[in-house]
Amino acid sequence: MPVTERERLAAAGRAAGLRLGAGDVAALLPAWKRYLALVEELRAAVAPEDPDAGG
Amino acid sequence: MPAAEPLTSAPLVQVTRALRRRQVSPVELVDAYQRRIGEARSLRAYITLPDERARREAQQAERRLSRGEAGALLGVPIAVKDLFATRAIRTTAGSRILQDWVPSSDAAAVARLRAAGAIVFGKTNLHEFAYGVTTANPWWGVARNPHDPGRSPGGSSGGSAIAVVAGLCAGALGSDTGGSIRIPASLCGCVGLKPTFGAVPLDGTVPLGWSLDHAGPLTRTVEDAGVLLDVLSGRQAGQRARRTSIQGLRVGVLRGPIVRNVQARVSRQVDAAASALRRRGLRVREVRIPDMEWTVATQLVTLRAEASAVHARWIRTRPRAYGADVRIRLQLGALVAGTDYVLAQRMRARIRAAIARAFHHVDVLLLPTTPITAPVVGDRTMRWRSGEEPVDGALVRLTAPFNLTGLPALSVPFGVAAGLPVGVQVVAQWDDEARVLAVGRLIEELAAEQRPGVA
Repeated sequence: MPVTERERLAAAGRAAGLRLGAGDVAALLPAWKRYLALVEELRAAVAPEDPDAGG
Repeated sequence: MPAAEPLTSAPLVQVTRALRRRQVSPVELVDAYQRRIGEARSLRAYITLPDERARREAQQAERRLSRGEAGALLGVPIAVKDLFATRAIRTTAGSRILQDWVPSSDAAAVARLRAAGAIVFGKTNLHEFAYGVTTANPWWGVARNPHDPGRSPGGSSGGSAIAVVAGLCAGALGSDTGGSIRIPASLCGCVGLKPTFGAVPLDGTVPLGWSLDHAGPLTRTVEDAGVLLDVLSGRQAGQRARRTSIQGLRVGVLRGPIVRNVQARVSRQVDAAASALRRRGLRVREVRIPDMEWTVATQLVTLRAEASAVHARWIRTRPRAYGADVRIRLQLGALVAGTDYVLAQRMRARIRAAIARAFHHVDVLLLPTTPITAPVVGDRTMRWRSGEEPVDGALVRLTAPFNLTGLPALSVPFGVAAGLPVGVQVVAQWDDEARVLAVGRLIEELAAEQRPGVA
């Protein structure tokens, strides 16, 4: 089980079919963290619709 | 009879007129631009320089002109961003991956230029695969701003903007996915037009983001942009712009969080342009548009996913064939969840609706093209009172809304600040390029009046 952010990113990369060495993961990690933060903000801004309201 | 040399920095319409009147020959013109290119090689405007083929095309154009043939661009040398396929001319997309690609046919936009008689005058430098806004190309050279070689020309169509500003061609073709025509136009001091989404065909253009990509001209004047647009689009917006009345037009100067972080020297120029428009009888007011502050996040998620879909195979099989910055963007994009993309499209719809509502009250929007003047080459972070912002994020912040919405947007130079050009951006509703160009021409005129020593 991946436990650190670095391990999670490496696992996600493998699942996506990327060839990520340790150096690649280190280079990608800051951008990945910024991306996740940005998506979180977007998610908060686009308030989810009430799942019970669907028909 | 004017020599060809002064025409190298003249507007395209003036070049066209001189050619038609046989005051200069296409060969003389090509030779004059070639001399300028030789003097400006350190700017790294070109990936593939115009060669003997361009001279042969000039000779053919000369024969056609002597027979009295017509053509909107007959004998006019136009530089083409190296993202557009050109028949029998290497097309690299600024990459190592495509370094040996010689297409067998022209991109649709290039074919339209040729059909109008243009000479394809070299392939200009760009950010690798157009995926970035600095044109610091690891394979073909770091492009330099003609106003200060220590500064970036912007991108991704940096080479096209340099070629126009440094007098290396009569006009240029660029592409714009988040601002890639308008950003370098603003930072280098030329006109850049991103037309309505779909107005210029993209067949034969190496894609970056299918829902965001646009093609359009970079030129010395707004009138030139109209001439090229008419050729590229097959419509007559440039011609209509000459007849479009702008008296009493409603201009909305954009305010709100998206323009909070703008260099004071840039804001001053935009405000000066707005005041000058008011003095000319336009009705200028301020507008605030909700949700626009979500532009960068929305653009980023959308583009990361779309670009990584384009590059899905190569980023998995040949990651080392990309430069470091583009490789990271593409690898990140491969990790974007479908739900994130959907989220971004929901916000995109909100931004589109908010801007559409604003156009109930104004006819055009006015805002800076870029919140900063040309950054120093290699600068990665902007420091504002409210915090830090990546330079590439700052550069696309005010252009990307109109890639997300597909609305026509024009960058026009309006003065200089600290010795560097400032671009103001005019935006109108879908398919209303004529109005954008008409307002742009007035801004251009007002900028000339503002220049010290100009009557």
